[in-house]
Amino acid sequence: MSTLKNPKTRRGLALLAGSAALALTLVGCSGGGNDEPAPERDLGTPVAGEIEAGVLDGVTLTFAGSGGIFQEGQTEALWDPFAAASGAMFTQDAFDAGKLKAMVDSGNVSWDIVNTSQFDTARGCGTLYEEYDYDQVDTSNVPEELITDACMVPQILYGLVVVYNTDAFGDDPPTSAADFFDTEKFPGKRTVSQSTYVDPQTIEFALLADGRSVDDLTVDDIATGMDKYKALGDDVIGWTTGAQAQQQLEAGEAVMGLVWSGRGYGAAAAGAPVAPMWDEWMIMVDSNGIPKGVSDKQAALAAVNYSIGAEQQAEMTELTSYAGVNSEARPDVDDQLAEWLVTEHLDTGVSPNIDFWVDNYDALSATWAAWATGN
Amino acid sequence: MTETTVTEAVAAQSGDVLGADPGMRKRRGPKNWRPLLLLIPAFVIVSLFFLAPLIDVFIRSVTDPQPGLQNYVWLFTTEANLTVVIRTFGTAILVTIVCLVLAYPYAYLMTIVSDRTRNMMQLFIMMPLWTSILVRTLAWMVLLQDTGPINGLLAAWFGIGPIPLIRTTFGVALGMCQVLLPFMVLPLYSSMAKIDKRLLPAASNLGANPVTAFFTVYLPLSKPGIFSGGVTVFILGLGFYIIPALLGSSKEIMISALIQQQISVFLMWGQGTALGIFLLVCTILILVLVSRFNKNGSLFPGVDR
Repeated sequence: MSTLKNPKTRRGLALLAGSAALALTLVGCSGGGNDEPAPERDLGTPVAGEIEAGVLDGVTLTFAGSGGIFQEGQTEALWDPFAAASGAMFTQDAFDAGKLKAMVDSGNVSWDIVNTSQFDTARGCGTLYEEYDYDQVDTSNVPEELITDACMVPQILYGLVVVYNTDAFGDDPPTSAADFFDTEKFPGKRTVSQSTYVDPQTIEFALLADGRSVDDLTVDDIATGMDKYKALGDDVIGWTTGAQAQQQLEAGEAVMGLVWSGRGYGAAAAGAPVAPMWDEWMIMVDSNGIPKGVSDKQAALAAVNYSIGAEQQAEMTELTSYAGVNSEARPDVDDQLAEWLVTEHLDTGVSPNIDFWVDNYDALSATWAAWATGN
Repeated sequence: MTETTVTEAVAAQSGDVLGADPGMRKRRGPKNWRPLLLLIPAFVIVSLFFLAPLIDVFIRSVTDPQPGLQNYVWLFTTEANLTVVIRTFGTAILVTIVCLVLAYPYAYLMTIVSDRTRNMMQLFIMMPLWTSILVRTLAWMVLLQDTGPINGLLAAWFGIGPIPLIRTTFGVALGMCQVLLPFMVLPLYSSMAKIDKRLLPAASNLGANPVTAFFTVYLPLSKPGIFSGGVTVFILGLGFYIIPALLGSSKEIMISALIQQQISVFLMWGQGTALGIFLLVCTILILVLVSRFNKNGSLFPGVDR
């Protein structure tokens, strides 16, 4: 009380308040501040894979991808050449849906293009992701069925594929989803995703094994699908990252796995005796999403338009093993990679029921959270 | 008012005791608060980067997606959550006990060996701390897997196996103990180093056998180290994420993975933050409980004052 009357104490308090205010100001200034509207440029009619030289001089774009060899390949095949041609500067970051939500909620969006799943863009369309202006992106060579919501341009095609050990089953390989669950005919451990990340195709695959169609699903099917895996008991082990799935296949920990096709290829390329089962597999598409509130949407659209060019997509496939979405892309691949390219097997692939999963995401997340935590 | 009087009275008294001239009294007041200025940087940083986000997290947990306690209701009514919470605390307790059992003799040995050996022992403890936790966990993965070298040797020499080592509580506890062991050894050593070595011979001179001497003399004196190491290991253990994910199966997943999933995958921030607040409250409760057992009631036992 009376200590406040002491001038030196008051000075101390003022100093304290002052430094707090200063720190708050510093934090405030570091965020946002991008109030200037982006200039509108005349880019003409878009052609996939083309950009007018130097048209984006002085623009900085940030791509948030899923890391690893995939993002490195995208950088080399798509973003670096785009930067060189357009004059834009490209920076890289790692995608995380939670981080995106934080950016959008706080109005401080520092990403321009992200690589994410088609379910993410469908769920967050209009709230987390900008709707596409398809007049500014040339999707003429992208199969129509790959564009599954208004906030995405497909980025790559891959699959959730059964990969089996050829030493174990080389003479009599599994040929159906049902075989994956048949531990008598195909004994040994199987690995499936128990990652915190959710691929609804994992559940669809289990239902497929029961002869169900993914086109008409009910909420009860979610538990039914999970129960199929639980019924495998000790014969099912989980992978929590793509790298772990590949490691389990390479080490022979699992004789079979339901894994991302690129990881199966990774194991094969590292010399593991594994082969893909193409008789029944789940088609997956990654989205090019543009975060809601992006500072220069036109520039982001131009970059996406460039990234789906035939040449760019072919080079990306050669570098990453993931198939491009441009039907004109002609990647020069060796025999081993050709064996793993999903585009050769689209006739036997099953497309996911996106609408169902977007509508029933809460039920999916509750069931999945229980599965991923051993319940 | 009263405060001033008391302060002045104390100042006057101490002045009298010191036999100082009255002019010294005036300088005493300011000197008392001036060191507090040193707290300003820490205070600013803590309020900005810890307190403010913490308040934000709490507010979110009761307002997202709408105001109410629905996130806490969800937390306590979802069976999967409760399993994970119990598992998290169980694992942390297990790891703390194992670390204590391993670290106690090691720390004791450090107090009786030569300086050179002690430096070596210290190096062995510190070296893992300087290696990436991810790299160490990957090494365990390779060693422990069914097709790994340990099971390979067991099969070749004894014809048994494969014994499940990875994807078990054992594997997770092993990986966590290896990371957390230094946090147990160092406080134990620092408290043991202060124990007078002559007390044990003195105890035997008075008729105690070595076991009695240890339990009645040495162990109580090393208690601050046990508390301090135990609390550190336990609290760090609660937050483990990578090791349970890589060395365990879904049956070893801990609460931090659940929080990550709610925040980053499902975008259910209300539920994720409720989990975080719950973990924080539990941790504080346990700290308070532990401090009751500590003689001087300190929340940070083992800290010299």
